[in-house]
Amino acid sequence: MASDRVRVRGVSIFRPIIYGNTATALTQKERDALPSPDHTHRWTVAVRSAASGGNADQVGGADDLSYFIKRVTFKLHDTYPNPSRNVDKPPFEVTETGWGEFDIHIRITFVPESGEKAVVVYHHLKLHAWTASGEPEIPPIDVAIKAGPVHSWQYDEIVFHDPYQNFLNILTNHPVTHLPKAKRKPVPFHLANPGSLDASKGGVPEFTSLMEKEEADRLEEARQAIIVEQERWRTVLIERERELENLQKQLAATPQ
Amino acid sequence: MAASAADVRSILSIPAPSLAAGPSQQKKQPTTQTRKPEGISRELYSLIGPSAPSLVTLSKPRLKQKPNLGGGSKVKWECRAFKNPGRQDSLELRHWVRASTAEDAEYPFAKYNVPSNVFTYSQDEYTRFLEDKEWTKEETDYLFSVARDYDVRWFVVHDRYNYIGGVPRSIDDLKDRYYSVCRKLVRNRPWAGDETSKAQTIASYLFDKEREITRKKYIVSLENRTPEQIAEEEALFIEVKRLEQNERRFKKERDELLRTIAGIESGLPDIVEDEGLSNLAIDTKKKKNRGSVMDADSPAIPAMPVSAPIVKRPQTAKNAAFDAANCIVRTDPPTTVPVTKAAHQPAHLRSYKLPVPKAAVQPKITAALAELGISHSRLVMPTRDNIMQLESLLEATTSLVEIKRVVDKVEYDIRVLKTRLGMRESQGVEGRPGEAMDVDEGHEGDVVGEDGRAQSVLSTRSARSRKQTRRSMSISSVDTSGTATTRAGTKRQKRS
Repeated sequence: MASDRVRVRGVSIFRPIIYGNTATALTQKERDALPSPDHTHRWTVAVRSAASGGNADQVGGADDLSYFIKRVTFKLHDTYPNPSRNVDKPPFEVTETGWGEFDIHIRITFVPESGEKAVVVYHHLKLHAWTASGEPEIPPIDVAIKAGPVHSWQYDEIVFHDPYQNFLNILTNHPVTHLPKAKRKPVPFHLANPGSLDASKGGVPEFTSLMEKEEADRLEEARQAIIVEQERWRTVLIERERELENLQKQLAATPQ
Repeated sequence: MAASAADVRSILSIPAPSLAAGPSQQKKQPTTQTRKPEGISRELYSLIGPSAPSLVTLSKPRLKQKPNLGGGSKVKWECRAFKNPGRQDSLELRHWVRASTAEDAEYPFAKYNVPSNVFTYSQDEYTRFLEDKEWTKEETDYLFSVARDYDVRWFVVHDRYNYIGGVPRSIDDLKDRYYSVCRKLVRNRPWAGDETSKAQTIASYLFDKEREITRKKYIVSLENRTPEQIAEEEALFIEVKRLEQNERRFKKERDELLRTIAGIESGLPDIVEDEGLSNLAIDTKKKKNRGSVMDADSPAIPAMPVSAPIVKRPQTAKNAAFDAANCIVRTDPPTTVPVTKAAHQPAHLRSYKLPVPKAAVQPKITAALAELGISHSRLVMPTRDNIMQLESLLEATTSLVEIKRVVDKVEYDIRVLKTRLGMRESQGVEGRPGEAMDVDEGHEGDVVGEDGRAQSVLSTRSARSRKQTRRSMSISSVDTSGTATTRAGTKRQKRS
């Protein structure tokens, strides 16, 4: 219908997603079974909806995103056979084994109704546990096995401006599972919030709306600190300027 | 009174008391009866009794209760010395207080000493926001000092305002300059609270000079009317009212006539009541009541509404809930941007739109925020609100960096001037320069050492320049090399 291909002005609609990976260290027995025994980890890189669903072992993925995502292409390291992996139906994820961390290109293509170009994100494949310092550190393999899977996930929102009417209908026909308001599971660790390291331990993490609030609070606190600092420096500045003025007068008064 | 107890009983059909009853029983009787309501005379009450409906309105003028002055117990008073915390000096006065008040109670009137909050601004802020061709910096400084001295009481300020070498200023000029400076400062400084409180603060500093002058002119002309003019005005007003009424009646009659004869409306235009006139009527009435006293110096009514009206399409609660559930954000489509394919903003990830600080100050901002545990290049939850929050944080940080830069510059200027002064003095007296340097060193110490943490926020520079004073006066080279290294350092984290 022609009326469907009309953009709805003044509307932007977004869909919360997460992308990232989960990695598990392999035992010697599992490694022996692999075609390439030098691989130490099995990992899964994925694009999912942000809220966690019924599967307790999985981060996110409550909603099926295929109503607006047509394809996700994961471009792996060139040393992998067939490094560009196209995933055309959910779940949008790739599971592989490997021994090293590298950047993965994730290209998200939308359904044709959207009339939008694909977007690309990068994800640094995370195999080794997070550290407090942020410096990468490779723990011995038995420690890694004991510590359990490593999670590295980034929350983001895909924003569509002025969507076509039919695309908007598609989107609104698939309601979003919102993030839970209470913390039930560990917090997903993120480098921007190193303080969450301890809270991130102990199982499969889950994104909550508390995290947004918490980050807003951190930013606000920092802003307040900056403003206090600024007030202080402004008074210093005004004092110094006064002093400078006095000195200038003094200099003018002293004979050459 | 003639009515005896027996009469009353017979009227009210109360059985006669047995004769055997002794006088003691007789005495008891009044207590068993309900009390006589107030406002009825005793005699009448004894006639009608409590069972009869009272026809009289029970309205006895109620007097105010006598105030309880606490005359019962004696109050002990003591003459005690007290200090007024509102005073700058430690003057001690004595006053009488109740002995029961606590010894260390604060002086109750101290809280009324509210110092007025007069803004201060730096040279840098002045050159950036406050330039005005009518006012020099010196005169503005003078205005602010007078305002501070007299607590922004404009009559006093205007009375005492005597800027040597300046043009004469009216009270409105002073107010206009003062409030415009305040507004600009509030607008340009980062605000600690939320946007609405900022808007309110700005609104509290609103001053429309033109409007104020017109208002005063109007009041003057109003006050200067002669009695004849006033009489004429009133006569005219009455005349207008009468004409209006006539016309209305005429229209009504004509309408009725046409309806009865032809069954149509007359089509005459409705008479529009002149708002201005009716307002004027109320105005004049009010003024008569108030005895034509008008406060010519009440603060001008803000011409703008307190908060700018936000133009929003009507949105019901149901719609809002629908939008929230579907993650929809509605904005008014910009009317200026032409609707073309090229103008369409493509789909993107929210984190693509993270605010980026200016390249020139970026290393310093990164360093300052890193110290507070914030990285501005990535967010855990890049939602719309958090991005806005980050934006205002970056704004605040940018202006902090800016202030620190100016402080460094001024400090450098101070040092240069001090050495120049020292050199001049050394030309006159032998052995002085060493002394001058000592002074300089001490001063530098107190600038930087005021607050260890604050100093460490972004200023690698002042720490360096402290060493610098000892060595030489060339500060600028250190500065540039410092930024060069940090810039190289931040290049790595280009990825968002």
